[in-house]
Amino acid sequence: MKRRSFIKGVGVAGLAMSAPGIILPAWSQEKVKLGCLFSSSGSMANVEGRLNYVVRMAAEELNRSGGVLGRQIEVVSTDPASDWPLYGQQARQLLEEEKVAAMFGCWTSASRKAVLPVVEQNDGLLYYPLHFEGEENSKNIVYMNSPPASSVLPALEYLMGDNGGKARRFFMLGSDYVWPRTINAQLKGYLQEKWDIKPDAWQEEYVPVGHSDFQSLVNQIKSFADESGEQPIVVLTVVGNSIPNFFQEYINQGITALDVPVLGLDVVEADLEGLDTESLVGHLNCWAYLQNAPGEANQRFLNAWSEYVKANNVPFRGDVAIDPMVSAYSSVYMWAQAAEKAGSFDVPEVRKAFPGTNFDCPSGYNIKLTAENNYVHRGVFIGSVNQNQGFDIVWQSPETTTPVPYSSYI
Amino acid sequence: MHRQYLDMLSAIVIACSLMFVTVSNALAQPILEPWDRFEIVKVWCSGEREARIISFQSLLEDVVDADAPAQQWAANLIGEYRDGNFRCARDTVYIPNDEQFLDVITGDRFKAIPDDAEKPFLNIPLRRALAPFASAVQLVAAEAPEERLLAAQGLARTLGDVSPALIESIYRQEKDMQVAAALEDVLVPAWLKSGDTDAQLKAISTLASNYTRTSRAALDKFLDQKTENVSEAVRTAAESARSSVHWVVQLSEVMTVAYHGLSYGSVLFLAALGLAIIFGLMGVINLAQAEFVMLGAYATWFVQEALRALAPGLLEYYLFIAIPFAFLVPALVGAFMEWSIVRHLYSRPLLTLLATWAVSLLLINLVRVTVGTQNLSFFTPEYLKSGFTVFGEFSITWSRLLSIFFAGITLIGTLFVIYRTRFGLRMRATTQHRQMAGCVGVSTRRTDAMAFAFGSGLAGIAGLALSTIYNVNPTMGTSLIIDSFIVVVVGGVGSVLGTALAALGIGQLNAIIEPQYGAVASKVLVLLAVILFIQQKPNGLFPRKGRR
Repeated sequence: MKRRSFIKGVGVAGLAMSAPGIILPAWSQEKVKLGCLFSSSGSMANVEGRLNYVVRMAAEELNRSGGVLGRQIEVVSTDPASDWPLYGQQARQLLEEEKVAAMFGCWTSASRKAVLPVVEQNDGLLYYPLHFEGEENSKNIVYMNSPPASSVLPALEYLMGDNGGKARRFFMLGSDYVWPRTINAQLKGYLQEKWDIKPDAWQEEYVPVGHSDFQSLVNQIKSFADESGEQPIVVLTVVGNSIPNFFQEYINQGITALDVPVLGLDVVEADLEGLDTESLVGHLNCWAYLQNAPGEANQRFLNAWSEYVKANNVPFRGDVAIDPMVSAYSSVYMWAQAAEKAGSFDVPEVRKAFPGTNFDCPSGYNIKLTAENNYVHRGVFIGSVNQNQGFDIVWQSPETTTPVPYSSYI
Repeated sequence: MHRQYLDMLSAIVIACSLMFVTVSNALAQPILEPWDRFEIVKVWCSGEREARIISFQSLLEDVVDADAPAQQWAANLIGEYRDGNFRCARDTVYIPNDEQFLDVITGDRFKAIPDDAEKPFLNIPLRRALAPFASAVQLVAAEAPEERLLAAQGLARTLGDVSPALIESIYRQEKDMQVAAALEDVLVPAWLKSGDTDAQLKAISTLASNYTRTSRAALDKFLDQKTENVSEAVRTAAESARSSVHWVVQLSEVMTVAYHGLSYGSVLFLAALGLAIIFGLMGVINLAQAEFVMLGAYATWFVQEALRALAPGLLEYYLFIAIPFAFLVPALVGAFMEWSIVRHLYSRPLLTLLATWAVSLLLINLVRVTVGTQNLSFFTPEYLKSGFTVFGEFSITWSRLLSIFFAGITLIGTLFVIYRTRFGLRMRATTQHRQMAGCVGVSTRRTDAMAFAFGSGLAGIAGLALSTIYNVNPTMGTSLIIDSFIVVVVGGVGSVLGTALAALGIGQLNAIIEPQYGAVASKVLVLLAVILFIQQKPNGLFPRKGRR
């Protein structure tokens, strides 16, 4: 760490503390502003923090090629500190004071639910980069990632099929908020209706957000697995730092993917940093992008990111890319395209231009929006942990899937 | 006549040639031939799952009759395959070995391998099918008892498609007691199914000596089936075995809960101890305490990295080498903080609350911009990996045991410092009556500063201990601070023993409630219990005796 960047860092830290809301003042009239709502402190910081930078990177790329509608982009970042109501407050500030043209933000559904009434009231625009529980369709939110029908259910189907080891018993472990609970409600409906599986084949447990001590839960998983001869799996919906803490305990208690595989619905490459992945090989996740996705678009993105990290001293690893990063990055381009098409930055105009906008996403799929709803059509990847703190692709959908916002299994 | 002669001759020729073929088949060691080796690795790299499983099966059959080098080769091959070390090229497979690559067919070594050499992906069903075959091949090939034991234990998880008859024949020739015992575990399901009373009794006695849930489930299943060919003696034996196994399993589950409570309690104690001392002595509510825990963990990480670079031989012991650093770094930061901030605010406790909170934010962000927000990667020494089974289902993981050990050492060390050193004496005096202590010549200011540094250092030790069980990142402390405060308040402000007891109690309460009602409810119930306790005993378990 060079001294100058250290000083700069201290300065930023000091500034962040003195004004925990908006950091950059409005100083340029010609520029069009975009807002970022990603936490760089609190339990979600390690994963969410990266998204701030990737939005900036996309904006810089657009600026280099002449901006949007001839105007340069300025990105305004905030730090909602992993505190759900704060997301709503800061969204309001971004919309009312900074007058941003669009916002990119939120990881957990709880934070999105906090922003939802704000964007609807002010007729703002939020691009939401995470896969989530669905059951929502606001005209003010663009859902960049997949609802369960095109992410979780294919993954579950894979695990229950021949190639996944015929799972028939399910330990559902989640953080206690809307996403895990809705996902598990859908899973239970799906298992009962589609597979005729009885309620005694699953156990549902929730932990507080930020929970770190998993020893008794991992022990419960052990005894759950011993109860019956049928193949058990864990459907993991804990978020943030609970994920590595859970896996740490899983390793310590000596359970492997051969005994009880974990389908980690919020597990990304970044969560494996610092873990001994040798003992985790074989656990699964499902996303609309994995770092190992084939194709040139991905290589371009990965190169751009590692150069951006080097050039800007970003405090994250340049060789790790995760789905929400790619989704956030793509969303800037999707917004720019809609704005160009509309010839305006006004939200109603931009919204009218949505149908038909598409982008050659680093995942290798051409992702698009249709007139039907605000859900982006994405591809599906199922990944399996490998020794190198990454995921091997075990399955990927041939085409993008048509998103189904409302599940029939609830 | 002539005709008959000819027929006979041809019959002899055919018979001879047939014999020759069979003899040559038996003589050849099929897996030693390069061509066979090539066939095997080709199927393993790109064949269908069924084809691969058939190939494992035939390799196992071949290995039984092969000579020692061939057995060794096969055991290595299947082991490397299972561990994911294959790099499949067009006409061979390479295995990383000593920074070089080994061609498994020719045995040649290479510095580099072709770019298109790929790692084959083994999905879960394939790995499940493979594991027992790999263990069986290794069992056949291995000479040393330790290796055989490892292989036999691998088979005990599941026998898969490996034929029990083969294991049975190995078992009959096994001379090592431990290996034989492990093989008995493997053979239990086959013996139970056999219908032979002796075999069944043997299986039941094996199960009865294994106090696990799996063996209880196996006995339950055996007792449930309604077969007439089970003799009365076998049934009685199974029933008595079941009840004894069940009893021990339940006892071990209770012990597990108690142990979880103890280990969580030790975490709480470590995190809260420094806080208790600072709070007790100076009445300063140090909200940055949790960040000292984080600093201790980071100091441990720096020591680990330094050892990795300078003395890789000592890396195994970094946790112990790091102890002084994990104590000193937060202690120095604590001393500096006391000197620069806290000292000026002694008369305004509410302001120290705000100031220390600001320091906590500053420290988090400082670490974030200097080191980064990612979780730090800690090397797990061999002696900390997994754990051991005490009895039944009661098993202990080394990393948790280490944190209990650190908690114990810290408790003893702190008691020693407080009750057996001059610094401790001054500290106790100042805690009891600040003015009076000052009057008899104790420099209360210096005592304060030293106590603050001492408490901060203790938090650093907590960070060191926690680095093996939790993940280390800039915000790791934030989840600890509330729990630590609860412990300090329940324990009685400033009391070391009270802190220990409160931590144990809260840890135990958590461990008991969590499996029953879930983690969310356990937080609620524990907080409720704490409120009721504070209402009854507002000064905590061990209220301070001195005058204020």
